[in-house]
Amino acid sequence: MKFTKMISAVFAAAAMTLTMAGCGNGESGSTPANSNAQSNTSETSSASGSFRTVDQIKESGEIKIGVFSDKNPFGYVDNDGKYQGYDVYFAERIAKDLDVKLTLVPVEAAARVEFLETAKVDIVLANFTVTDERKQKVDFAPAYMKVALGVVSPDSAIIKSVDDLKGKTLIVVKGTTAETYFTENAPDVKLQKYDEYNEAYSALQDGRGNAFSTDNTEVLAWAKSNPGFTVGIESLGSADAIAPAVTKGNETLLKWLTDEITALGEEQFFHKDYDETLADVYGADETYKENLVVEGGKMDTSSETASNSDKSASA
Amino acid sequence: MTEQEQNASAANPPEHIIDISGLVKSFGDNVVLDGIDMSVSRGEVVVLIGPSGCGKSTLLRCLNGLEPIQGGSISLHGEPVVYGSKSLYKIRQKIGMVFQSYDLFPHLTVLKNIMLSPIKVQKRSKEDTEKEAMELLERVGLADKAKSYPSELSGGQKQRVAICRSLIMNPEIMLLDEITAALDPEMVHEVLNVVLDLAKNGTTMMIVTHEMAFAEAVADRIIFLDGGSIIEQGVPSEFFKRPQTERAERFLKTFTYSK
Amino acid sequence: MGNNFLRLLSGLWVTVRISLISIAFSLVLGTLLGAVMTSKNKVVKVICRVYLEIVRIMPQLVWLFIVFFGVTRLTGANFGGETSAVIVFTIWGAAEMGDLVRGAFQAIPKHQFESSLSLGLTKPQMYLNIIFPQALRNLLPNVINLATRMIKTTALVSIIGITEVLKVGKQIIDANRFEFPNAAIWVYAAIFFMYFLICFPLSMISRAIVKKQQRSE
Repeated sequence: MKFTKMISAVFAAAAMTLTMAGCGNGESGSTPANSNAQSNTSETSSASGSFRTVDQIKESGEIKIGVFSDKNPFGYVDNDGKYQGYDVYFAERIAKDLDVKLTLVPVEAAARVEFLETAKVDIVLANFTVTDERKQKVDFAPAYMKVALGVVSPDSAIIKSVDDLKGKTLIVVKGTTAETYFTENAPDVKLQKYDEYNEAYSALQDGRGNAFSTDNTEVLAWAKSNPGFTVGIESLGSADAIAPAVTKGNETLLKWLTDEITALGEEQFFHKDYDETLADVYGADETYKENLVVEGGKMDTSSETASNSDKSASA
Repeated sequence: MTEQEQNASAANPPEHIIDISGLVKSFGDNVVLDGIDMSVSRGEVVVLIGPSGCGKSTLLRCLNGLEPIQGGSISLHGEPVVYGSKSLYKIRQKIGMVFQSYDLFPHLTVLKNIMLSPIKVQKRSKEDTEKEAMELLERVGLADKAKSYPSELSGGQKQRVAICRSLIMNPEIMLLDEITAALDPEMVHEVLNVVLDLAKNGTTMMIVTHEMAFAEAVADRIIFLDGGSIIEQGVPSEFFKRPQTERAERFLKTFTYSK
Repeated sequence: MGNNFLRLLSGLWVTVRISLISIAFSLVLGTLLGAVMTSKNKVVKVICRVYLEIVRIMPQLVWLFIVFFGVTRLTGANFGGETSAVIVFTIWGAAEMGDLVRGAFQAIPKHQFESSLSLGLTKPQMYLNIIFPQALRNLLPNVINLATRMIKTTALVSIIGITEVLKVGKQIIDANRFEFPNAAIWVYAAIFFMYFLICFPLSMISRAIVKKQQRSE
């Protein structure tokens, strides 16, 4: 019995590596069905779920875009069953400009990369933070949003800067960028760590800490629906880029998206997107807007340090 | 039929129901039956006794084709009993067997247990079968349990039903394999009385038992097995009073006590 | 609240549809597998055992990844989400079912076979009248248990893009997170009730069978 258990454990491990770790090292001998001769990224993903070029998408008359279906206000389904949100608004524009029908595919954070690697969607627009690790597996277009850290605190003692936190207790969630940032940059802030977001919020409400820090999109939205709390620091640390992603090697679509984002920058499309989808939550305040929106793919904050973030899951 | 048959067999050479010659049975290197020669005549009640592991039960199982044999032959009315053969299904209908373990079918009522094989195997009509089944149950004093499930019966009642289930097939011979061994003492009697009744009515039987008093009462012939061979046989009155062999004597002594 | 209730119901229908089809396939394939598993052949036994252990060891989530993404990656074949889900739950269900069938047969005492044969029943008659009915009775409560487990596990399929009832619930909660931060309790209560409506009758049936069984055993 022990023997068979061992065998099966080996099988299981092998299968898991195969699927979970992705095949960025091209361990499978299978070759892509289509010949993307112009691709220089031959050492990467030999995904045989063949991606579709812009021409193929236009020809089929349909584009498949992966979005979140439960991440209000970026990608969610409203009470009438319709997709809404910042990402969805952009997806609709993409379909319109390609002159094709839009099919939205609900994706989960943990499967976004796989959906692209197997070309089950053409584009992922799901609050996808650009990281070095992900760049190995998918190709990112220029950013259309950015996210940095935010700090929320009670109105009675608003924390407005990292200096305000000296000697005080800051609540963080384990494994988030906030934990890393404060550990490295503000050793004199006492960190109180929790496993779950809802635990962290309860701790803040109970006054177990002086403030709570995580992605600014998250704390801004939370403060909005929790009177008595204010986001005193709206943008801290280096901003992470949020960008559309395509299957690795899909150069025509990547180029099209790059051109599209540049063109949309000229008409300030994402400001309009913000007004339509995010203003309800984050307010029409210009500073909020500038903290989140990126036009024409140009991030003013240096984005190269985005790599130390390890937020595989939410925004 | 039985009285006449017995009278007839007194005059003519007895009709053999079972013939066994040179039977060898082994499990691997372990020889359990080592050259058994015997026969059972119509209406005869043969009781096999002997120490545990002497091969009595195995002998019965071989007779019913439940075990392959390694030598010799068994025949029922001249028809060979061959393990795994097609004809076995026919032959088994003529051999009733009751086991030590309660082997009623737990998902069927008492009545359905008894009626199953006449209907399925002998293709008899449901009405006839039910009538006969009820008569048999009446005979063993269990008519009121016809609709009960085996789990609702005592061990003794289960064995009486098992006997009915075999009898309804009108077997040429009944093989009873230690049918009281798993019973509480107070139930042994009710089962053995049924067997005695069968014997009185001339049912041919081969019985394996450890109940010596019962063996003496029911048997026409006692066969004493030890080490896979027939050591001694004879009518009960002779056997129990004056066993001819030292081994039989020693075996019988294990059943008597003196202070 | 829009058409949220209808959406929950249609999510429930997705859940039920995937479960029922998978359960049906599992019953058929699992019965065959169970018959194979009772084989005395050592090689066959080991193969079956390894299959069962692999299926058990790996979380269903991993299986969903393997079938939905892994197969596409390796072969280019592209299964739809629901097809993948049915394949995964059938792979799992058939393995568990096979083991249940094997167990149900092996739980039948040897003398049930012997006394059937002693009565002159042929092997087909024996299986049909004696062995199968008893195996089925041992089996039914376990099969129903497996079915309810399968229904509950289908909640995982949202990872491969299927919007089943739990996912619909999360969508509703999220869509209303600003206006009604406490909607979660009510939505989950509704979903709980829906699962309950499906699974409760199954457990009742199972309990009734067990009770009947106790009588006739």
